[in-house]
Amino acid sequence: MKIINGYSDLAKSAFSDFRRNKVRTLLTSLGIMIGVLSVVMLISLGLGLKNYIKNQFESLGANLIMILPGSGFGGQGGFGPGLVGGAKFDEKDVRSLERIPEIKYIVPTYFKSAKIEGPSKDEFGYIMGVNEEYFKLMNIKLEAGSLFGESENQARAKITVLGYSLAEKLFTNPSDAVGRTVRFSDQRFKVIGVSQKTGDNEGDNSVVIPYKTTFGSINPGKTFWAIYLGIESDSQVQTAKDKAKETFLKRYDEDSFSVTEQSELLSTINQIFNILNAVLVAIGSISLLVGGIGIMNIMYASVTERTKEVGIRRAVGATQEDILMQFLTESALLSALGGAMGLILATLIVLIVRPFFPLEINFLSVVVTLGISSAIGIFFGVFPAKRAAKLPPIEAIRYE
Amino acid sequence: MIKLENVCKTYKLGEDEVQAVCNVNLTIKDKEYLSILGTSGSGKSTLMYLIGLLEQPSSGKILIDGKDVSKLSDRDLSKIRNSHIGFIFQSFNLINRYTVEENILLPVKYSREALAYDPKERAWDLMRRFSIDKRAHFYPNKISGGQQQRVAIARALIGNPEIILADEPTGNLDSKTGNEILKIIENLNKELGVTIVMVTHEKEIANRTKRKIFIKDGEIVDKY
Repeated sequence: MKIINGYSDLAKSAFSDFRRNKVRTLLTSLGIMIGVLSVVMLISLGLGLKNYIKNQFESLGANLIMILPGSGFGGQGGFGPGLVGGAKFDEKDVRSLERIPEIKYIVPTYFKSAKIEGPSKDEFGYIMGVNEEYFKLMNIKLEAGSLFGESENQARAKITVLGYSLAEKLFTNPSDAVGRTVRFSDQRFKVIGVSQKTGDNEGDNSVVIPYKTTFGSINPGKTFWAIYLGIESDSQVQTAKDKAKETFLKRYDEDSFSVTEQSELLSTINQIFNILNAVLVAIGSISLLVGGIGIMNIMYASVTERTKEVGIRRAVGATQEDILMQFLTESALLSALGGAMGLILATLIVLIVRPFFPLEINFLSVVVTLGISSAIGIFFGVFPAKRAAKLPPIEAIRYE
Repeated sequence: MIKLENVCKTYKLGEDEVQAVCNVNLTIKDKEYLSILGTSGSGKSTLMYLIGLLEQPSSGKILIDGKDVSKLSDRDLSKIRNSHIGFIFQSFNLINRYTVEENILLPVKYSREALAYDPKERAWDLMRRFSIDKRAHFYPNKISGGQQQRVAIARALIGNPEIILADEPTGNLDSKTGNEILKIIENLNKELGVTIVMVTHEKEIANRTKRKIFIKDGEIVDKY
């Protein structure tokens, strides 16, 4: 009880001192506030981007294998020569994959950004040439209308299923799009359906058409950007992957394609963002450090200013430890105060910006930042507090 | 009883060593009222601070009730200061950002033992006794010098000490107020039996005490 009283006494005394020096307290905390603000904002940015990209990939569905050109995303956590260049896949590849029994869905994918013309306005979107299995693999649900089937693909029908966001932009009410036409690549396409919102930016802003339909002026080379494979069960993913790789090696160099599981991709993304976060935190920490030095500076001034007080306290029975604790409490509270202000400000900014930009604050970053800011207060407070504690009582009392 | 045996205190002043107090042998009995008389720079304040355990002797021994305190830890010395010794200074030495009441209660914050009294009640008793109770919530710079010294005396008495060390307690006061303060101090000795050691450079003040010690150049030179 005595100890608790002691600490509350120390805090009370510190706060009464802060009240008497409001401007100084505010200015000193400002350094830590800016430091905490920048660290929290940078963590939020890193975390927000990471989760945004993760969600984009996760919306692709489970048990997914991607065959991409180039060495793609390496499973070992780095990018290879990249997605540009490498093999250009075609229908022959699709046929060879059909011989692998573990594969349930094969979705050859043509992908291109384009201007999509609606009845009254144009919007930027993506042309996605796929087969009917795409809807099952990606778990696409209909908002209105219908999906296309194998026959429409074979018939190279000029029909399309619109992504929700694109339909909304072009027709205001997405359901109104069904039965209407859109134009892109100088061709008219009948909208037969609108898919529900998936959260995947590209998917929600695309015109999904049968891939064979692209084999004209849109995709004269009859090539695919990627081939997505859906596997029956988790346990078969590795076998299917190995077999797909083996099949492709017969036709392409090892470096010109990659067979990647979604989980590998996610772990690569995680690794990249963990590094990015660490770099961001390190940059933000510089301002925390500067704030800490500001606190040290003020605490030194405070010790000098209150030398006589230290002497008086020593005379009435304060130990060196008591004096040390008094000044340490002040610097830790000063720092925590700045930390709390920075955190509140950061939370407000995140709440305001979040609708427009992926920012996220998590509980851990809050706890860590508050912990770090208090620790900085203690660390930078130790030197001035030690000086105060070591003051010879007589000299302190006589100090004018 | 406090006993000083061959106590010396030397300070380092750059390269030089200055002997502030040397070869002091002195016994202060319980309930004594004595003064240490000396000119400025004679070492009288240093001697008082040695007795008050705010300074450690460079050589020699200080015994309180027969126990050598020269080798005690900071914690133990602070404990003795807190519960057995009270200080009164020439410049009052109150903390200006604390109220009168808070100043009086300051030593209680550093008490490490269960108190046999209610500190707040005792603080108010003392304030009433020294007629400063109406100033309880004032800050020291808003009250007169005489009142400030009464606050300092109340602060010295809050822990019920056996000994009060007063360093020129009337030095910053006019003669009338100084006289009032001296009367308060004398009464502490007379009525409460508190040992008083008063440091002064004024013979008239020293003459009011029961024993006088004269100090010159750090040494006790004459005993009356």
